[in-house]
Amino acid sequence: MPARGRIFASKRNEVSAEMRETLREVLELAKARGAGYADIRVVETRAEPITMRNGNVERISTRTGRGAGLRVLVDGAWGFASPTSMNREGLEEAVDLAVRVGRASARWKHGAGVELASEPPHEDRWENHVAKDPFEVKVEDKVELLTAATRAMTEVPEIKVTGAQVDAWETKQLFASTEGSFIEQRKVECGAGVMAVARDGHDVQRRSFDDYESRGWEFVEGLDLVGRAGRLAREAADLLKADVCPRGRTTYVAGGGMMALQIHESVGHPIELDRVLGTEATFAGTSFLTPAERGRFQYGSPEVNLTADATIEGGLGSFGYDDEGVPAQRSVIVEKGRFENFLMSRETATMFGVRSNGTMRAVGAHNLPLIRMTNVNLEPGDWTFEEIIRDTREGVFVETPKSWSLDDKRVNFHFGQEIAWEIKDGALGRMLKNPAHTALTPEFWGSMDAVAGRGKGEWKVHGTPGCAKGEPVQVIHVAHGAAPARFRNIKVGVGQ
Amino acid sequence: MIGREEAQRLLAKTLSLSKAEETQVNLRGETLHLTRWNNNHIHQNLVRRNTILTVKAIDGKRVGTASTNVLDEGSLRATVELAQRNAALQKPNPDLAPLPGPEPIPEVAGFVGRTAESSPEERADAAGVIITAAQKKGLTAAGTYSAEVEEMAVANSRGISAYNAGTTGFIRTIVNAGDNTGYADRMSRDTDDFDPAELAAEAILKATLRREAADLATGEWDTIFEEYAVADLIRFFGYIAFGALAVQEGRSFMAEVMGEKALGENVTIWDDGLDPRGLAEPFDVEGVPKRRVVIIDRGVARGVVHNTMTAAKEGRASTGHAAVSDWGDMGPMPSNMFLATGSSTKDEMVRKTKKGVLVTRFHYTHSPEPTRVVATGTTRDGTFLIENGEITTRLRNLRYTQSLIEAFNRVEAVASSARITRDWWSTFTSVLPAIKIGGFNFTGGTTF
Repeated sequence: MPARGRIFASKRNEVSAEMRETLREVLELAKARGAGYADIRVVETRAEPITMRNGNVERISTRTGRGAGLRVLVDGAWGFASPTSMNREGLEEAVDLAVRVGRASARWKHGAGVELASEPPHEDRWENHVAKDPFEVKVEDKVELLTAATRAMTEVPEIKVTGAQVDAWETKQLFASTEGSFIEQRKVECGAGVMAVARDGHDVQRRSFDDYESRGWEFVEGLDLVGRAGRLAREAADLLKADVCPRGRTTYVAGGGMMALQIHESVGHPIELDRVLGTEATFAGTSFLTPAERGRFQYGSPEVNLTADATIEGGLGSFGYDDEGVPAQRSVIVEKGRFENFLMSRETATMFGVRSNGTMRAVGAHNLPLIRMTNVNLEPGDWTFEEIIRDTREGVFVETPKSWSLDDKRVNFHFGQEIAWEIKDGALGRMLKNPAHTALTPEFWGSMDAVAGRGKGEWKVHGTPGCAKGEPVQVIHVAHGAAPARFRNIKVGVGQ
Repeated sequence: MIGREEAQRLLAKTLSLSKAEETQVNLRGETLHLTRWNNNHIHQNLVRRNTILTVKAIDGKRVGTASTNVLDEGSLRATVELAQRNAALQKPNPDLAPLPGPEPIPEVAGFVGRTAESSPEERADAAGVIITAAQKKGLTAAGTYSAEVEEMAVANSRGISAYNAGTTGFIRTIVNAGDNTGYADRMSRDTDDFDPAELAAEAILKATLRREAADLATGEWDTIFEEYAVADLIRFFGYIAFGALAVQEGRSFMAEVMGEKALGENVTIWDDGLDPRGLAEPFDVEGVPKRRVVIIDRGVARGVVHNTMTAAKEGRASTGHAAVSDWGDMGPMPSNMFLATGSSTKDEMVRKTKKGVLVTRFHYTHSPEPTRVVATGTTRDGTFLIENGEITTRLRNLRYTQSLIEAFNRVEAVASSARITRDWWSTFTSVLPAIKIGGFNFTGGTTF
């Protein structure tokens, strides 16, 4: 076993024969100690966040990490340990600890113990397409971009606080299992955002934008961050003088960014099968869905078509294989309103006698994998945004989440947004501030009667790098394909 | 564990590698033992260990940082060089304050060997006590039992060299009786303080009390909040309003009311990082000792917490509340909030309520209007109707949407005892009593 040094042997991230042999030995040792199954992930990470606040660079940081996580099934129960070092002693100690933890779990195991849905061993190497490596872009150029975006915001006199940031992440990972899988992956992601706060002595209003993809710097270059910054700053200033969004029931039209969060919170989380089975009850919560509702439950109107697709090129929730060595897949979640499938692990898939749809992921080396969203999408509809507005006699059009709150089964929700416009007689009218809407999840999706997507660029995958779940909490990157959509008879303007 | 000697050796070594005008090095070590169970079986069990070293290099009012969890000399050198490079690439920040100088660091007894040595077997046994108690009642239990060692060391080129090790034990359970659930948790530096049977009894009582659930009409209701729920109300003040950056940027309501009455006269809130009733820790991430800060004194806004940067802007000393997060610099934050106790009890609050609501705790709260500290969230794990001084009916969970500035001007009773508790998101760990608020605004309900 290597005492120290690089895990990935070359610039192309190929794994050394020595590391491969090390992992094989670790897994053999776990079996010898009593594990019926074991897998190990070795992970190297790199992140380079740059943040600017009020025109000053607040942070230029480079974060690197390296480590491993070993998962074992002993006597039908799980154990997990992260080694304190990558040398022979450290890895052997982690094996012993993980096996001991698994044996303790077995004191209160579920029935006869954990079974895993069948999965053939995979030997593969995957990486996402990157045209311009964000770590090769000069930091000065990134700072200049943020400076220009800040300047565009501060040209608006009412803007008193500004924020701007760019992020780049790289994750290299090896996965090996006692079933013979050996998978190398490298993923590069990046994105950027801006935030403008306007203040006039009576009110404070904010507009913001951020987006991320599994692509190179070319993604950031295509965001028009400076142009967006100026537009958002002017909107923030205009919000100071805008009327408050009236209360009542009306037609609710949400922009793509707002829809992405709506999908995340009221579809993505409730369809995680571990939540359905209650294993996140103590922190993130459970779900209103039950296993019996797979293939039966009417989740929404016939206009609602949802997928979980980890194969979308550039999606922040895309990958080659999940952290159980299951290939990325596209799963139909809701078809014409009917609920078809959960997000599953190998353990939970056995209850339906099916293959896992590959959604187990961990953050970094030191955490165990959980069922996580991939790219969970509302499929594009056959409307254009203009047609939806033209077809709406009265309502509100909202954009950009400001707050989000759901009950622990994801039934009752309340979302606040940064901005809204009145819809009157088929046209967008006055700007409204402090919009919000509240509803019950199945009723809400049941009221959807139009989805845009026919117009150019209306449907896009929105990167969401802050999805939190688990104890200890793990914040992971996911994404949501979405376009503007319309919902009837929704309670809006629910402030206090 | 790394230990004081090795931690300080690593920091000194790292400092010696830096050529920057000023350098700060932080080291955070974590050993987390955690067991989770649900539906009466253990489904997750782990030991997580990691140590992260962060270098902040300052040259000519330009700051750069870099971090690593690989602690050999080559990696330390590379991390220092990255921090210096990052600083060199910046434009000077005229607001950047110099690093703080050394001050005496108070001793805090926050480390308990028993907690640090928590074994998977004893956590499984504790889970078993709770599971067995639930099973005897025909119920199921979920829960989490964690025992954590956290080491924090800070050194800087102006002479600060601080180290602290603390342990935190946390155990909680949710007992399920169909759609009805009950909750209990305990937090302590010492896991020997935990009594799983007593914890199970509290959660079982909550899950089985008044089993037939009813809906509540939306509107304003006199409401009693258990300590768990108070934590979720107080956290909004903490992260929205009680930090100096939010005041300096005009985002906090405190900016407009300093020295004036802001909340009810029976509301006093302070932050004290050295009080052992909370999770005391002697210094912040800049190595500045924690100072007690009175934030609200009998309703009057008196102060906010500072880090070195916000303090320098006002020509004052940091209060030892520098904080960092993965999301960037949020400015200084409270770390150990206390809400002053009153003279009531939870039982007395119930007895004196003609018609009202009892809330055990909240889930997924958020603020749609931060300036007015408007918060929203749903209740969970035991919400009850009080009629004529008695708990008469279980209620289906409720959504509230309420300006907490207004609500904390209507506090009608405060319990005479307080306990350590943390909010659902673990934003803060605070020491809080139960309270009663008049006319709390419930805006919706859910189906269970």
